[in-house]
Amino acid sequence: MNAGEKAPLVGAGQASPARQDWSWLLPWAFLAPALLIYVVVVVYPMAYSGYLSFFKWDGVAPTKQFVGLQNYFTLLFNDKVFWTALLNNAIWLVAALLIPTSIGLGLALLLNKGFRGSSIYRSVFYFPAILSLAVVGLIWNWIYLPDIGLINQLLGGLGLQSLQHNWLSDPNLALYAVMVAAAWNAAGLPMLLFLAGLQTINPEILEAAQVDGAGPVRRFLSITFPLLRETTLIVLAITAINSLKVYDIIYAMTYGGPANSTQVLSTWMYFLTYNYNSVGQGTAIAVILFLLTLIFAIPYIRMMGRE
Amino acid sequence: MSATTRDHSYKVVFFYTAVTLLAVIWFAPIIMLLFTALKTSGDFAINGALAVPQSIEWSNFSEAWDTGVKNYFLNSLIITVIKVPLGVTIEAMAAFALTHMNFRWAGKVFPFILIGLIVPIQMALVPLTLLMNFLNLIDTRTGLTLLYLGFGVPFGVLVMRGFFRTIPSALIEAAKIDGCSYLRMFFQIALPLALPAVLSLCILDGVATWNEFILAQIFLRSDELRTLPLGLVNFSTQFSTEYTLLAAAVLIALAPLVLVFIFFQRYFVSGMAGAVK
Repeated sequence: MNAGEKAPLVGAGQASPARQDWSWLLPWAFLAPALLIYVVVVVYPMAYSGYLSFFKWDGVAPTKQFVGLQNYFTLLFNDKVFWTALLNNAIWLVAALLIPTSIGLGLALLLNKGFRGSSIYRSVFYFPAILSLAVVGLIWNWIYLPDIGLINQLLGGLGLQSLQHNWLSDPNLALYAVMVAAAWNAAGLPMLLFLAGLQTINPEILEAAQVDGAGPVRRFLSITFPLLRETTLIVLAITAINSLKVYDIIYAMTYGGPANSTQVLSTWMYFLTYNYNSVGQGTAIAVILFLLTLIFAIPYIRMMGRE
Repeated sequence: MSATTRDHSYKVVFFYTAVTLLAVIWFAPIIMLLFTALKTSGDFAINGALAVPQSIEWSNFSEAWDTGVKNYFLNSLIITVIKVPLGVTIEAMAAFALTHMNFRWAGKVFPFILIGLIVPIQMALVPLTLLMNFLNLIDTRTGLTLLYLGFGVPFGVLVMRGFFRTIPSALIEAAKIDGCSYLRMFFQIALPLALPAVLSLCILDGVATWNEFILAQIFLRSDELRTLPLGLVNFSTQFSTEYTLLAAAVLIALAPLVLVFIFFQRYFVSGMAGAVK
């Protein structure tokens, strides 16, 4: 830096041209491998998907036919499954924002006290979060089996035969059954983040409030929860983004069925593109999914990218 | 005095009972899996999933391993072992450029990279299929590894940047004045200091790679190349009623995750915390 500033005083800078000319390239050289593969694998395909969504194409024919917004109109006005999928995504989003996050917060509050053995309990409650959603789906498929599944056996054992169901084959129940399985996996991350957030709260504040006569509920509502505001926002943003991406667990558990009742946008995109060869409509769904994600992601990216 | 102590100990007992009960319910699916895998299929048919096995049956594991799980396991292992160190290195280099190289475009490049964190993979699938087809990389481990590298960049850069920012710039400036090149600064100062972050990222990325489903499902076609999550879903349709075998297969897939989790648990926490700081 100093050399660069002094150079003009010395005159035209004979010694520095080489360094001056190339040093700006150095950061780019460090960035190049990551940036290059990221652009080739993520950015360029994204843009190209946007382009493809304006064409009618089966994915193999040499020519594509430009149809403007027709793929979007077909989805919006002529595709009942699209609306089922959109509605299911909305239900999933609301449920995901409420249930696994609350469980995670509850567990974090429970385990934050650092009682003897609390780290073991922490591991037990976090464990499902490290499993792949496909495997979570497989495990819960067995739990939901009509005859020998855990849930129906338990209900039978308790004499509650009337509550036994064929959980994953009932179009009215299947989506919620999958959600329960997903919540088992999804509660771990909020728990971890809330635990980290709770560590940053100065215990003296809580003790002072207790001395002043504030009960546990009051302390939580007036002190702990407001101080967890940033953690909560991050948890909600990550949860919202992830819940719009849901795919594996539905694929593994219901394959979108029965009768398309558990389709979400990402699975319907897959079926349209790869099973019905309707590439234009498939990519149009992907674009819609991306735009929906942006609603939650823009504030999140702002928060992460701040200096 | 003694009354309050007794009062207190009742509370403790009640607290532990409640938490333990909750933990057992939460863990029941895993316990069920373990009991099922250790049973004979006859025992399973008679006594169901949750009953304690009548005799310990290890043969389910060897049978699952020999009927295809071995292949899936090795495929997952190869891809993870190659992808993770390579990915973390390029992500750390990028993050170093964004934090300590007086890079004027950092404020633009970083948000550009973060976009990848939110893009649904579906948004890239069709063009990637065309690209992989063109490069003859469909149904190859190399192709899948390249895709994993690309999709891993945003999260990796986020975590590493979060850590590098905590390295005082005075340290880097001092090295610069001493005539240290950026490459040496990166490898001899920044990376060693960032070792905890690097380990966290390796573990989070390793778990994510081990568990990845959708890209593997689209871009691997032949059974011998399938990775574990994909292979297990396939395995479960093929042996749909042999629950003892399936449970053993799932447990084999989980074993490395359990080991990593037991030995490196704290890195899960610090890694996630690093990602959101």
